[in-house]
Amino acid sequence: MSDAVVDARGVGKIFGQDEDRVEALRDISLRIEPGEFVSLIGPSGCGKSTLLRLIGDLTAPTAGQLTVNGKAPTQARTDRDYGIVFQKATLLDWRTVTKNVELPLEIMGIDGREERAARMLDLVQLGDFGGHYPWQLSGGMQQRVAIARALAFNPSLLLMDEPFGALDEMTRESMQQEVLRIWGETGTTVVFVTHSIPEAVFLSTRVIVMSSRPGRISHVIEVGLGHPRDVETRESQDFYDKVTEVREALRRQEQAS
Amino acid sequence: MEVVRGDRQGRWERLSPRTRRTLSLLGVMVALVAFWEIYKLIWSSLGWIRPVRPDDVVMPHVWDMVIELFRPVRRGGSLLVLDLGSRALWTMREAIVGFLVGGAFGFGIGVGFARSRLAERAFMPYVVASQTVPFLAIAPMVVIFGFNIGIPGWISVSVISAYLTFFPVAINTLRGLRSPDPNSLELMRSYAAGPRDVLWKLQVPSALPYIFTALKVTATASIVGALVGELPVGFQSGLGRALLTFSQQFAVQSKKLYGTVIICALVGILFVGLVSYAERKLVPQRAVVGEIL
Repeated sequence: MSDAVVDARGVGKIFGQDEDRVEALRDISLRIEPGEFVSLIGPSGCGKSTLLRLIGDLTAPTAGQLTVNGKAPTQARTDRDYGIVFQKATLLDWRTVTKNVELPLEIMGIDGREERAARMLDLVQLGDFGGHYPWQLSGGMQQRVAIARALAFNPSLLLMDEPFGALDEMTRESMQQEVLRIWGETGTTVVFVTHSIPEAVFLSTRVIVMSSRPGRISHVIEVGLGHPRDVETRESQDFYDKVTEVREALRRQEQAS
Repeated sequence: MEVVRGDRQGRWERLSPRTRRTLSLLGVMVALVAFWEIYKLIWSSLGWIRPVRPDDVVMPHVWDMVIELFRPVRRGGSLLVLDLGSRALWTMREAIVGFLVGGAFGFGIGVGFARSRLAERAFMPYVVASQTVPFLAIAPMVVIFGFNIGIPGWISVSVISAYLTFFPVAINTLRGLRSPDPNSLELMRSYAAGPRDVLWKLQVPSALPYIFTALKVTATASIVGALVGELPVGFQSGLGRALLTFSQQFAVQSKKLYGTVIICALVGILFVGLVSYAERKLVPQRAVVGEIL
């Protein structure tokens, strides 16, 4: 029963105290199974990033129960169960691309770093850029390096916090294609925060629609588009219908509140 | 006119950066010498004495200062420039030892404060207070105290250089260690990285540009500290001593004092140059903001 990657039951998060008290999340219950690609979508302030950070043990819940790989989030983090990608690539300026990918491996004392880094850079199609410095790369390429770094130590879970939010539309679509390919090749479970409806639908097996103040799960939408997905998927009627369904769900909860 | 100017600009652009840098340095030097000499010429021909009297004692010709460097210090003695050169080595030893010790100490304080807000709150006021005490008052005390407990004079002088170095280094180190953005700290947390890894793999590399800014400032400060520290010391070595001697004999020896000042300036430039060189080797190019030397 507890083989879920993420299992949240009645999870809540309150920031601050007294007058400064903000209820970011209320009564979140969610099960994410291995190999799923789950997107969290909702208006800003709905707590989708907070939920991601709870899973990553970057902040702690104030109510409910949360397990990651059947363990307390802190345990999962110290077991290095997940890799994370932020909106900013947050690469270290003074390290080459290869050395950036090797960073988690160094810290974790994993051997065969060069070889692993090379494999990861091939995975994100940056095999020729290992010797470059981050600031010599475009925004999209930097984000690929961040993905390679997050996957370098083979985590079973990949957390992505609006990773393509700062990229232009063209780059964004090609990055989405990349992530789907990587997800197919590695079998990693992905939790993906976004505020783009087409992005959520195109990438996910399941879309979690959230509402704000306090953040709650309002709808769960199975995408069921099948794989592989490509440009034709984007232009299909089924895709369009799913996008409409998610949009309607977002609108309904907006009207309700 | 336009064409000629455009052409000249083109010629300047075509020169290598190194040549351009050397030429601009020389250009400024020529301008400064010209300013000195033209002032002297105009003021002495008009008989003006304010703000500075243009006679050969207060304002000797620049070339006379340089020529003086290549004359014996006293009858039968070595050339002034050689004498000052060996003094410069002595002073630099004091300054470099003090700079290294003070820099290491400042770095340690920065790391300690970055680790613990409590330590910062508890000790910062004293660190600040230590810098508001005029070091001119402390310098003789340190040297005399050192002499009493049998420490070689030059080490006491180094202590004063270290005293001037540690504070800017500590403050900039602290600031630099706190400069990484929250995401990179969270990234390290996601790797379950220990404090040591966070310090050496993230914080210290992020702090290097800040630390080097402080080191460039303190490179010159450590020399000033050494020069001043030498004054109360009994020994005759060192540039500070030469400054004192020649200023006491200013009325007859002003050219020697100016020569000594020139050597002091060269020592400072050399020192800052060494720090800049180390910075270029240690800090990736892009992080270096502006280049000195």
